[in-house]
Amino acid sequence: MSSDFSIVGPKIYATIHTGIPVLGDINITETLVVSWIVMAIITGLCIFLTRGLKVENISKRQAFAEMLVETGNNFVRNNTGGNKFDKLIPFVSALFATSVISNLISLTGLRSPTADLSTEAAWAVVVFIMITATKIKTNGLGGYLKGFTTPIAVMTPFNILSELATPVSMACRHFGNILSGVVIDGLIYWGLGLASAALLGLIPGAVGRLLSNIPILGVGIPAVTGVYFDWFSGCMQAFIFCMLTVMYIANAAEEG
Amino acid sequence: MQLQALMMFTAEAKNTQELVTLVPWTFIAQIINLFIQMYLIKRFLFKPINNILEKRKELADKEIREAREAKEEADSLKDQYESSLTNAHAEAAQIVSDAQKEAQSKADAMVKEAQQEASDIKARAAADIEQEKKKAINEAKDEIGGLAMDIAGKVVEKEINEADHKKLIDDFISKVGA
Repeated sequence: MSSDFSIVGPKIYATIHTGIPVLGDINITETLVVSWIVMAIITGLCIFLTRGLKVENISKRQAFAEMLVETGNNFVRNNTGGNKFDKLIPFVSALFATSVISNLISLTGLRSPTADLSTEAAWAVVVFIMITATKIKTNGLGGYLKGFTTPIAVMTPFNILSELATPVSMACRHFGNILSGVVIDGLIYWGLGLASAALLGLIPGAVGRLLSNIPILGVGIPAVTGVYFDWFSGCMQAFIFCMLTVMYIANAAEEG
Repeated sequence: MQLQALMMFTAEAKNTQELVTLVPWTFIAQIINLFIQMYLIKRFLFKPINNILEKRKELADKEIREAREAKEEADSLKDQYESSLTNAHAEAAQIVSDAQKEAQSKADAMVKEAQQEASDIKARAAADIEQEKKKAINEAKDEIGGLAMDIAGKVVEKEINEADHKKLIDDFISKVGA
């Protein structure tokens, strides 16, 4: 058991040299690999849940699948007030499912893809483009640009800042929460490992040396703290991210 | 060469990315991943489930519509039955009243006929009686006339012209009979 503690970024499994100046090399990182695992899990779950669909006398599995779909539909429809944004439903559902599974996959010992800022930044930029597209569609390009000068022209830089703050805050909020979970979990395991090593090290002789390598205190307590830092935080951040997505887009369509 | 590549790979596997950083390719890959995921969820969860929900809704609508149609049909049938029942009642009443009228008229006719017959019988009987009476009276007249002639002949002891005297006696009797 090492006595120093450090949190590192996702592992890089392979690098493909591209030679493209700005984008740089393609790194096959833990983030990407776990993302693919997450996608496989979600898709597999979807296929599993929708096997043998029936109109009447449905199975529990189908009832659950229908509940998920209804929840997704209601979530978007209630927050946008109508069926105008039904096209968003699969997107928001995909965002939520990916976010939740990514957050919770850390429970299995894998590194969450959401513990990499690139992931959240990617999502936030997509959402930002959607918000902007909706605004331009609602008000026209002129109306959209003019919107920056309200209420007075002097406010323009601040308006642009606040516009850009949306994706940044969305990405950083989600990333920060998940990373903090990773840090706290790491700290707890490390601290409990040290504590158990110190405790069992009191036993003299070879038995003590052997036992002190087993972080026995690491059983139980992380499960309790994990309820908050992994389960609650993970679900909450996914929910907040999706909620903000829907709200921002709905607001963008109402402006003007 | 291969060994070297493998060593490179294992060496790089120990490398880690910075903790807080934006990696362009990861960024792009995650955008693509998100859209692939969106498509997969749409394809494998929303499409089949929405289809099923739509089908169920259609089924429920159809059942409600059919039930409503059946109810309407039943209502119209009920109306029909009720009206035909009312008609039947009226018809029955009509038949009964017709029968009563007919019976009444028949009875009336019979009574009238019987009365007629009775009065005829009575009249005939009266005529018969009258005739008998007349006959009896005539017979009596003849008898009495004969008798009176005999008596008078015996009393007067004198032969008189029977014809002349018969006329006299007849006059006498008719005066008496009147």
